[in-house]
Amino acid sequence: MAAANQDNSRPQNTRSIMVFLQAHAPFSSMDEDHLAHFAEHATLRFYADGDVVLSPEDGVVNRFYVVKQGRIRGERHNEKADKTETTFEISRGECFPLAAIIGERPTRTLHRAVGDTFCLSIEQDAFVTLISESEPFRDFCMRGVSSLLDQVNQRIQTGAMASMSSSFSLSTPLERYALRNPIVCSPDLPVRKAVARMHENNVGSIVITDESRHPIGIFTLRDLRTMIAKDTGTLDTPVRQLMTRDPRSLTAQADAFEAAMLMAENHFAHLCVVDEENRLIGMVSESDLFSLQRVDLVNLARTISTATHLRTLVSLRTDVSRLVDAMLAHGADSGQIVKMITTLNDVTVRRVLELNIKKNDPGIPFTWLTFGSEGRQEQTLLTDQDNGILFQTPEGMTEDQVREKLLPFARTVNDELADCGFTLCKGNIMASNPKLCLSDREWDDWFIRFIDASTPQNLVYSSIFLDMRAVFGPTDSLHELLEKVLTRIRKNALFQKMLAGNALQRKPPLTMFRNFRYVSDGKKRNLDLKRQGLAPFVEAVRVFALANGVENANTLERMDELVRKGVFDAKDANAWKDAYSLIQAIRMRAHQEMLERGEELTNYIDPDDLNQLDRRILRESFRQAQRLQQKLEVTYQL
Amino acid sequence: MLEQIRQWIERRRKGRTGNIAPENTPTPKTAGDQLLSECRLIVLDLETTGLNASKDEVIAVGAVAITGGAIDLSDQFDLILKRPELDITQTVLIHGIGPEALTRGHELEDALLFLLEWMNGDPILAYHTAFDQKFLEKTLKAELGYTRNHTWMDVAELLPAFFPDAQTGGKGLDHWADHFGLEVSARHHAASDALATAELTLIALNKARKNGLKTLRELHDKLRYQRRLKNMHRM
Repeated sequence: MAAANQDNSRPQNTRSIMVFLQAHAPFSSMDEDHLAHFAEHATLRFYADGDVVLSPEDGVVNRFYVVKQGRIRGERHNEKADKTETTFEISRGECFPLAAIIGERPTRTLHRAVGDTFCLSIEQDAFVTLISESEPFRDFCMRGVSSLLDQVNQRIQTGAMASMSSSFSLSTPLERYALRNPIVCSPDLPVRKAVARMHENNVGSIVITDESRHPIGIFTLRDLRTMIAKDTGTLDTPVRQLMTRDPRSLTAQADAFEAAMLMAENHFAHLCVVDEENRLIGMVSESDLFSLQRVDLVNLARTISTATHLRTLVSLRTDVSRLVDAMLAHGADSGQIVKMITTLNDVTVRRVLELNIKKNDPGIPFTWLTFGSEGRQEQTLLTDQDNGILFQTPEGMTEDQVREKLLPFARTVNDELADCGFTLCKGNIMASNPKLCLSDREWDDWFIRFIDASTPQNLVYSSIFLDMRAVFGPTDSLHELLEKVLTRIRKNALFQKMLAGNALQRKPPLTMFRNFRYVSDGKKRNLDLKRQGLAPFVEAVRVFALANGVENANTLERMDELVRKGVFDAKDANAWKDAYSLIQAIRMRAHQEMLERGEELTNYIDPDDLNQLDRRILRESFRQAQRLQQKLEVTYQL
Repeated sequence: MLEQIRQWIERRRKGRTGNIAPENTPTPKTAGDQLLSECRLIVLDLETTGLNASKDEVIAVGAVAITGGAIDLSDQFDLILKRPELDITQTVLIHGIGPEALTRGHELEDALLFLLEWMNGDPILAYHTAFDQKFLEKTLKAELGYTRNHTWMDVAELLPAFFPDAQTGGKGLDHWADHFGLEVSARHHAASDALATAELTLIALNKARKNGLKTLRELHDKLRYQRRLKNMHRM
């Protein structure tokens, strides 16, 4: 900015416009020459309050505007309600119209001035020059996804926000919550004094630290209650004997979401915040994170995990949907939300298993596996059961004998999970299927056949069985199995190539002319967001992940891992992650809306129901899927 | 824009501009049937060494053009005139042009000829025209022997004519700029003041259009009527 001020070779008014532009995106990241090009080719117009600035009747848009003073309101006529609705507001430093000038068409929204308004504008020619010469400007206007994604996310949030009214964001670093100095004491302090110290400071917990300020335990009012109720100590007992040892901790850079997930997974309400050397610097409690909101993630997870009846679990499922709404409102992105749903689903599955073991223990240790989207931790509210069992055959038993015991148990679990809202799998990919209740040796054989005799039918199953995770029971045997499978795939170039070919079967729903290609079921103009939108990403990423020894099943995390391994360019991967997350976000929002209307959940949407910006973003996201598929084609020479 | 001036001066130096004598500059236009929605207007501001037209001198000219109701920033004039012999210590604090900047300025005669050509005889608007008109006419006469009359309109009269009820708290450019929430980038810089004046002009023209005024003559008459009204009040 200083440079522009000192540069006396440009007229004062050009310089002052450059300074104005530099305070706003995308101009803030543009070169000075490009800003000068804008300023020198700009015209300045005045619009009084209520004047029309741009109208659909004006024909193809041929100017690009920046608000210099005042505001612009977007108006659209709602035919159903026969009234005019404000669709957006553009304020100082913001640009318009983007979609229309790039699409070389008239605007679909009436732009009206609010208050005394001045706009700078440039003609199409100057706009095109800037687009072609300035990368930040081009990025802002064209690539859309990253910069427009923010706007869409914002819109998704404000939609859910309407009922919540909060500006809380789950991406906020913990340091914002953990400012206060936590109350600490040494391990030898009697409970009486520890509680007195908590009382003086009006807090519900105290951290027990060693001499170097490393947290070694935590003592809460809950622990005090337990001590009295169960008579495990007296007020003179050293706090060391009653504290919860090795409290979980996060660094101050971790965000609120991580903290919430950690609390939800472990059902505790306090976390220590530590520095790089594990020294205590603060404390976060569940109520710090959620006190202002009615989001009760931790409590919900705790209630699920301690439910004593199936019907309690069934009734809790509606709370999960409410929570998704709240999460959207609190700025969680779609990746965070699917992980949260997966976490709560895991807790539910575990509890159903625990309740059944209590009732009717099959007497044989087993690992409960999940496949497909649950295996990838990418579940939404619409979710099928895809599960199986991995067991180690006890001495003196045959595998079939084990199955005799485990299968009836699995049948009950599958049915009860269905009661909880996990739809029974139509393809019978469930633990009660004898073919999917196997010993470690049988699973290994199964995968050998799967990989070596890769039939087209096998390849269809790749999206299920190659995304696998343990939800319950010991995990070592699964880890060993996975290692063998990955090694085999890495060595089998033919299998990789067939997987890649299979991944290319699902084309993103775009025509050659970048219009949407619809599912051909005749009636509605439908897009299948799951099969046409998400699957191309999931499948292509899976091929790269398996070929490069990535054990993780989560698509976004697989991409991160592939960047670290140098397989993906970081910029590309970011664009793909954005695009994938965005399709997921639109899908989830559609699910929430279907729930509200009491409809059955589907993955179909009619793009005409979306607003212009979302449609454009969706199209751009599909284009990113095409790019990812192209990389697959090049890599495997398909 | 400076490139344009440089080229123009270059041409003149090479002697080809001998025919661009003051008498060959564009003819000043009168306020006639030109449509306000189409015509070009000059909005001008001068920086001077002081307020006394008989002894003070012009040191900077800033101007922008309004065409078709919009300020076209590719069509502007921003020049510091070369007047090193002048003592400017009196006003240097107000306008910020030091002796060094002045010596780097343009030859006065060249600059004035270029100004006349650039203005193209279009009507000139300024805030408190009396001041700018007096200084500009004096300078043009002294340096070029140029004495033609241009059409001038005072933005300080234009605004109260269309916004009679505005509570501005004063009659200055700053008062009106504040009233409409304008941001003036560098007050007392000729070009910057000219732009602020032009922005106020846009606001007034917007109102004029809504009041049914279409031509330059109608605007001119409205100002004259306003002046008469004011004089009557005074009597």
